[in-house]
Parts: sequence; structure tokens; C-alpha cells
Amino acid sequence: MTAADTREPLPGAGPALPAEHRAVAALRLPWLYLVSRRAPVALGLLAGLAVLLWSALHWHWGIAGGRAAQQFISLTIETAAAAVIAVTTYGPFGEPERATGRWLPCLRLGTAAALTAIGYGALAAGAAGGALPGGTLALLRNLAGITGIGLLTAAALGGALGWTGPLAYLLVTEVALTGNPTTPWVWPARPPHDLGGALCAALLFAAGTAAITLLGARDSGRHSAPE
Amino acid sequence: MTAAAEAPVRPAPARATRLTPPLSFLRLLRIELRRSAMPWLLPLIAALFWFDSYRPSTGQTPLYVLRTFWNMGQGHTIIDFGPFVAGVAAWMGSRDGRRRTADLVTATARPRWTAQLATWAGTAIWAVAAYLVFTSVMFAIYASQGVKGQPPWWWVAVGATAVAAFSAAGFAVGVFWPSRFAAPLAAFGGFLALIMSSQTGFHDSTGWALILPTNSNGNFQPDSGLLYPWLPDLPIARIMLLAGIAIAALGLIGLRARGDGPWLRRLTVAVTAAGVAAAGTAVGLATTARLSADGIVIPALHDAASDRPFSYTPRCGQAAGIPVCLSPSYGRWLPEVTAALGPVFSEVAGLPGAPVRATQVGTIYNSGEGGGGQAMTIGGRPPVLSLPLGTLGLPGAVGTATVFADQLRLLAVHAFVGAGTDAGTPAQQAVQAALLQGAGVPFAAQPRVLSTTGLPSGAQAAGNGPPGPATGPVYAAALRLAARPPAARHAWLAAHLTALRSGQLTLAQLP
Repeated sequence: MTAADTREPLPGAGPALPAEHRAVAALRLPWLYLVSRRAPVALGLLAGLAVLLWSALHWHWGIAGGRAAQQFISLTIETAAAAVIAVTTYGPFGEPERATGRWLPCLRLGTAAALTAIGYGALAAGAAGGALPGGTLALLRNLAGITGIGLLTAAALGGALGWTGPLAYLLVTEVALTGNPTTPWVWPARPPHDLGGALCAALLFAAGTAAITLLGARDSGRHSAPE
Repeated sequence: MTAAAEAPVRPAPARATRLTPPLSFLRLLRIELRRSAMPWLLPLIAALFWFDSYRPSTGQTPLYVLRTFWNMGQGHTIIDFGPFVAGVAAWMGSRDGRRRTADLVTATARPRWTAQLATWAGTAIWAVAAYLVFTSVMFAIYASQGVKGQPPWWWVAVGATAVAAFSAAGFAVGVFWPSRFAAPLAAFGGFLALIMSSQTGFHDSTGWALILPTNSNGNFQPDSGLLYPWLPDLPIARIMLLAGIAIAALGLIGLRARGDGPWLRRLTVAVTAAGVAAAGTAVGLATTARLSADGIVIPALHDAASDRPFSYTPRCGQAAGIPVCLSPSYGRWLPEVTAALGPVFSEVAGLPGAPVRATQVGTIYNSGEGGGGQAMTIGGRPPVLSLPLGTLGLPGAVGTATVFADQLRLLAVHAFVGAGTDAGTPAQQAVQAALLQGAGVPFAAQPRVLSTTGLPSGAQAAGNGPPGPATGPVYAAALRLAARPPAARHAWLAAHLTALRSGQLTLAQLP
């Protein structure tokens, strides 16, 4: 027997799958991954947040105060969307998945990027309910930057606690906005076209996606907070 | 029959028979305390507490009422804790559902509701203890910085109850929706509720909205804990509301628990109803609230003993020979106060109604004034100048000595000319401007002084309107009066002060 013989189908093996079946099989892994990360529920929540944003803008919910206070409800909703995306990184399988999942980094990256894009689209649609402070450009910057914070938190603390980073950033922003901050790291206080704020948000999003792609959430086979 | 069957039955270990339910609950609680996720977040909450609650307060004047208005009065300590606690509690509450072990644990000897209460208590104890520790450390730092007054202990109790209520509500969210998304939903829902509560609180200074935990209208009087006690009425009502929410949420969990007997079900119904009743009663009590000189009074909860001002030995100094007495808490500003009032007392010395003494009185918060202060008054025989200092920009952390001195001079002269709580007649405004010029506040600077924050709106709306130039008929008349020789001006004032104070004098009648 030669090495070439091993390439032949084993006796009793079935015929090769047709092309359409192979396509379905290829989609099976991403689908299972998305289900394991509760992506369908996340999509429902992102849609719900978009409706909430629409309602807030349509019925002029607001907080008394200056320009910073006016945008705070919409910023809270954007942050909640980022938190939902961060929590999807939580995986229930841990070490076995890490040991066997060759495509895992690609699936993590694809899921995070796709959910961010869908979240942006949903919130942009919700922004049609009224005048969103800063417009959709600021929405993109805020969502991307805070999602990056959420992904970094998930990589550091675990996917289950991925929401804590965005919430902490929101609280820091709330205080900072009252004092007219100059640092670009508090980008919600900057105009939509501000380069410094956009760069900081983009940097955090890139760092977050890189961390979650390469390392995964902390609870995926590494020690994490009690579950 | 075997030997084994003949052997006497060995009695159960005495320890097991004595294992009472409370003890087993405590053992369960100890396990839950060790397994709680709350300690993982405490470093993050500590950092936020420092950044959001403590750090902004250090810019305030070193008086407890001013230092703690941001973090306790406006509820920032609750905002720092509540959403995180709700999120973690939701995570703990959803544990059995997420792990699909609910059926397994339902079959254990302990009632499901009791076990869930132990899980909740494990989270709540960590959270409330951390809140109390962080607040105590903050107060200890304040004390080391020489902050004066009485700490707002009632508001600390409100914060601790709010943390417990957030933990119970978040836990209920986790029990009813056992999902990984329960935690962010509870956390951001709690945060949104708090900022909407702030929004309503900024708008509504009366009625049910006073019950909201971040409503800052009237809950902190300018001299609470300094000249008079903190009134406990509103804090008690808020504690009732928050405790009611916590109890109702925990009762709802019991209603959902499967496998518990009918007796326990009846108990959970009663607990839920009690929680709802407590919360509803608290809202009803808040609708009866009214603003008094010392704070918010709720008649059904009010104790008249709380209205008694603090007794103290005042710290006194001399301003142009006239004694000026302040509360010991304000003692550090006595030199600035006497230096500011001295020129005014010199200017009006010997005139009818000129004060022979100045004494500090408690400042009353007026929601209509926004952050504005309270006018000085002159009354009694012999006349005494009443000094409310609570809302002025005291020199040091916030205000500058110059602005503070100018404000004191303006308010003292405003009281002397009898302008009362509004801007006064044009003649009163003109005499006020002339006396201020004599007391060291030049005409050119007066529009700026009249526009400074901390003054009552009546004192602000004088003359030609701040912050414009010192021109117009009022200032023209004031210039004429100020240009007269001091003896002639003094004589004219002595002859016309009664008419001036009664509002009968016109600008044309000024010399």
C-alpha cells in the first residue's frame, strides 16, 4: 500500500456531497457558533434598543442641562447596544472549544464585526425618529469605540462581565461631560468630525476586536469570575 | 435473623438533629458569599466612586452639606453602585436557569425560595457592605480635611437601601429571564431609570417626584447639619419606597418558585403585597411633603424635635466696632465677613435703623431661586443684621474673597435701604448704589457684582440690569448723591430714610 492509496475513499464510504450540501455544511459551523453565543437574542435586543432610541428622539426624552445632558439618553442606548455585543462573546464550552475550533478566531472576529455593523444599522434606523445629537457619524464613532471597550473588558474579565466596561465608560463620560473635557478619549463630548475622538474610538475598536479574535473572552477556557 | 438485624439502631448524630433551618440558611449564605460575583466588580466600583462621587466634591467648600450635595443629594453614589449591583444580581439570579439546574435544585430539601434568598443575600451583603465602607472612607477623608458640620447619615441609609433595592430588582430580572443578557438589561435599565429620575427631579420640586432617589430638590438645605439638623422625613419616605421595591421583588421570585408548598406560596404573596403597600405608602406620603425652613417636612413622619436649631457658642469678631457673630462651623470665614461688613457699617453708622450687631441665621433653600441665595434682613430693637451665608460663594474652594466681600456688602446695603426681597424702587436702588460706592464697591464694578451667582434674584435685578454698564437714571442719581460731602449725604439720609424704606421717595427727590 502506498501513500497514494490512502487518498482513495475507504470501502463503504458514501459518495461525495453535492455542491449545495457542501455549502450548507460550510454554513453549519458559523450558525452553531452564532447560536452558542445567543446572537439571535442579541439581534432582538439591538432591534429593541433601536425602537427605544426612536421613541426617545420622537418624544423628545431629555435631561435638563446643557448640550452634554441633551445627548445622554441616546448615548446610554448606544452604550447598551455595545454592552449587548460584548456579552455575546461569552462562550459556554471553554477549553474543548478552544482546543478543537480551528476557525474560532475567524468566527469571533466575524461575529463581533457583524453585530457591530448590524447594531449601527439598527440604531441609525432608530435615529430616524428625530434629531440625533451629532448625527449618524457620531453614532458610528460612539458605538464602535464603546464596543471596543466592551470587547476588551470581555477579554480581560470574561464575556459575562463584558457589559461592565461600557457602563463604567458611560459613568466616566457623564462626569466628564459636566466639565467640558478636552481629552479625545471622552469622544462623545467632541463634535462628530473631530479627528482625535474618531481616532481614539477607532483605536479602541481595533484593540477590542484584535483581543477578542486572538484571545477570546476570558471565560473561554481560562479562569474567570464566578458563573 | 442476622446479627446485623439484631444490632440496636444507632442514633443519628446529635449535630444533625440540632441543625435548625436558620443555621442551615447561614451555611448556605456563607457558600453564596464565597461564590458571589460581586467582589470581582468592587475594584471597578471603587475607582468609579472615587472619580464620580468623591473627586468632584473636593472642589466644594469644606462643609458637609456642600461636599455631599453632589454625591448624596443628587444621588451619584447610588448611580455609581446601583446599575452594577443590579447587573451582578441579575447574573446571580439567572444562574440556575442558565445552567439548566433549576429542576435539580428544586428537588433538594431546602425550599427553592429560601435558596434563592440566600443567593440574593450573598450579593446584597457584599454590595451594601461595600457601599457603607466606601462612604465611611470618604467621610473619614473629609474629616481629615477639616470639613465642618454633621454628616448626612440619613442619606447614607437611603443609599444603602437603594443598593439593596437594585440588587433585589436585578435578581428578579435574572430569575425571570435566565439569560446572559439579563445582566446588561438590568444594569442599563437601572441606569436609565436613575437618569430619568434625575430629569424628573430637576423639574419637579413638589409632589410624588420628591420620592425619586436622585431628586435633589429641597432635600439638602444650605445649612443642614450646620445650624439645624438634617430632617429625616424625606429620607424615611425614600427608605420605605426602596425597601418596598426590594421586598416586592423578592416576593415575586417566591411566587415563581416551583415545588414550594402552599404555606410558602401564601407567605410570598403576603411579602409581595407588603412590599407594594410600603412603596405605595411612601409615594402617598411624598405627595403631602412641604418645604419648611429646615428642609422637606412630611407631616405624618415629622418629629417637631427635629426643628430645633443647634445650640452653639458663636465665634464673634468686630466690624467697624460692631460685633459680628457666626456659627463655629463658619468660623474660618469670620475675618473675611468682618472685613467685608466693616466699610458698610462705617458708611451707615449713626443713621436710623443701622445695625448694632450682626448674627448668622440659617439659610432657607428656595427652589424658585435655582441656586440663588437669601436676602439679609435688619430687624429688632436695637436693630440686628441677620446674615444667611449658606448659599454664597464662600472664599476658598469655590468663590473668591473679593466676590464674597462684594456680595456681603451688597446684601447688607440692600437690607439697609429697605429693598426687601425684590430689586426695590429706583430711589432705593440709587441710594444702594451710592452707599456701595462709599463702602468700597465702585459704580463700574456694581453691575458685575449684581450678576454674581449665589445672590437672591431680588438683589440681582437692581439698577440698569446686570451686567451692563453703570449708566442710566438710577446711576445718575446715585452719582449725584455720592458726590455730596459725607456730612451732607449723612444728613440727607438721616432725614429721608423712613420715606426711602417705605417706597415713597422718587428718583427726582434725591439730592
